[in-house]
Amino acid sequence: MLLASINAAQILDQLVNGVTLGMLYILVALGLNIILGLMGVINFSHGAFFMIGAYLTYTLVPITGFWPAIVLAAVIVGLFGCLFEFALVRPLYRRLPEYTLLMTYGMALVFAQVVRRIWGDDAVRVDMPAALQNPITIGGYDLPFYKDVFLVIVTAVILALVWLLINKTNIGVIIRAGTRDAEMVKILGINMPAMFTLVFGIGSLLAGLAGALAAPIYAVQPNLASQWIVLTFVIVIVGGIGSFWGAIVGGLLIGILSSMMELIYPPAVELTGFLIMGLILLIRPRGLFGVEGLFE
Amino acid sequence: MRRVFSSPLLWTAVVFVILPFVAGANPLHYSGGFIDIGTTMLCFALFASGFNLLFGHVGELSFGHAMFFAIAAYTTALYTKGFDLNLFGFPYHHDPGGNMLLALAWSLGLTLLWGWLLARIIVPRSSGIYYSMITLAFAQVIFFITYKFGDFTGGEDGLQGIARPQLPGLPADWLQSSLHFYIFAAIVTFLTLALLYWIIESPFGSVLHAIRENKERARFLGYDVNKYRVNAFVLSTLFPAVGGWLWAYYQTSINPDAGSVAYSGDVVMMSLLGGIYSFFGPVLGAIIYWEMQNGVSQVTKFWEAWIGIVFVVFVLVGPRGIMGLLDDLRRYGISQFVRRSVSKDARMETDLAEELPPVVH
Repeated sequence: MLLASINAAQILDQLVNGVTLGMLYILVALGLNIILGLMGVINFSHGAFFMIGAYLTYTLVPITGFWPAIVLAAVIVGLFGCLFEFALVRPLYRRLPEYTLLMTYGMALVFAQVVRRIWGDDAVRVDMPAALQNPITIGGYDLPFYKDVFLVIVTAVILALVWLLINKTNIGVIIRAGTRDAEMVKILGINMPAMFTLVFGIGSLLAGLAGALAAPIYAVQPNLASQWIVLTFVIVIVGGIGSFWGAIVGGLLIGILSSMMELIYPPAVELTGFLIMGLILLIRPRGLFGVEGLFE
Repeated sequence: MRRVFSSPLLWTAVVFVILPFVAGANPLHYSGGFIDIGTTMLCFALFASGFNLLFGHVGELSFGHAMFFAIAAYTTALYTKGFDLNLFGFPYHHDPGGNMLLALAWSLGLTLLWGWLLARIIVPRSSGIYYSMITLAFAQVIFFITYKFGDFTGGEDGLQGIARPQLPGLPADWLQSSLHFYIFAAIVTFLTLALLYWIIESPFGSVLHAIRENKERARFLGYDVNKYRVNAFVLSTLFPAVGGWLWAYYQTSINPDAGSVAYSGDVVMMSLLGGIYSFFGPVLGAIIYWEMQNGVSQVTKFWEAWIGIVFVVFVLVGPRGIMGLLDDLRRYGISQFVRRSVSKDARMETDLAEELPPVVH
């Protein structure tokens, strides 16, 4: 309302928060998007995988220390994703993709309760190592090192790896071809079900990693899953279904703009993403980077 | 005569009459409030049936129908309680109102407006899972409005103390009794479901089925598919609205949960459990869902997990729900039914089009 009273430091603060949020959004949305692009199915349990990643980090940090805990949590969630795909998603291949959405919705309910059963209803906290807590001073501003420098570096590295995997490896060729026409790739003698399991695992791993990285920043609680899954959907719709660059631009856009909304009109922070989505739907229904006709 | 007895409306009426005597009487635990849970089932029967007009009859999965339930419930609550609003410096004051028909008219009107607006935006631009994601996201808009704008909607606590209406010719406190409210709700629900039945059985309903089976063919037959899809969407929002209207009066309070993802998901589960290709399915699903909720929640506080597991099993092995299983049982007989459920080959022999089952009642 009082735009004049907002000063540069506040804007920078919110920009920092927005970038942090954006990095995590990118990882979660990219995971969902990879699965969606290749298999054409939505994983409603993706938010639950994110949450499980965060809780696993909480459990593993006292045992293994901070760094191994993050890696382990992500890998465990990834393997769990493979198992999930093999046991529950695979029987639904021949059916309409809506049924996978329904099944994963039911499983998301189950996961939420299992998490409550194991870790309880109350929020838990994960402490980050002392080395990462100190702020770093750039141009006179103190930036939180973990939230803004470390997270950006990790996300950039992961994005580069995923990009290399998709664009420069044999597996990537199969994934890209499968996204266009999975039937045809199968006829060429590629074991598509194994490919699907692998990709589902990678997507889940990204969600688990995002959860592990988010654990020291946000309160880890059982309703984390439902909060994140809807925002992930919004990012995917804004960025374009199944698109690598869409997930990145969508995640950053919504992360930063919803943080900025904190300065402009605080009650509408949660609505920012939906407003952007509504706008995108009106002017460009397939999303910023979406392929025309793929999912329309 | 045969047609009357095979009519699902008759069965709906019969079920509504016996429901207050059996609902809530779960074998796991004795619980009171038989009639109260019956009224809950009625509200959700309407809610789920409206949702299923889209999912079962047009083949489009909306994951956001709770928004229409919430809009109607909040409208009724605000109309009944009165409110003060200050929109960009223009104050508006509304006195508490007691006319239930006016509350219904406002509820339906606002739902219709929002539903029509959404349908015009969403329907031509999306289908399939994309459609599900978008409806879910738009439902969150309504959820956050009810949650965040507390001055108007009561925020997290919601609105309490909604007065139940007075029926003409009856004592002022007649609806205060649980049983009386059940009777009122059962009559309203039955009449509204009759309207839904009429819609589904009409030529309009047949076109919806054609669109569900094959959009392209329906288009080649000369039907404006998107127009039908928009109309079906708008119609499907009205039944949750009537449910929400009843719900606000029944609960005498309302909170943001009414528009949450969980409520949207609940009606999806109810419809699928009952059977999406059947008129009676969502009604049966609502009854079974609340019966399970009532029973399991007394044994464990993690009841949602068990309902989730039951739902997943149905999605995996019985996507046509209980009504679909009953239909198979009637069609194939018990021995063949058992053979079909264990052997894939037997299923192939008897069922050529598993993906596109006929409408059963």
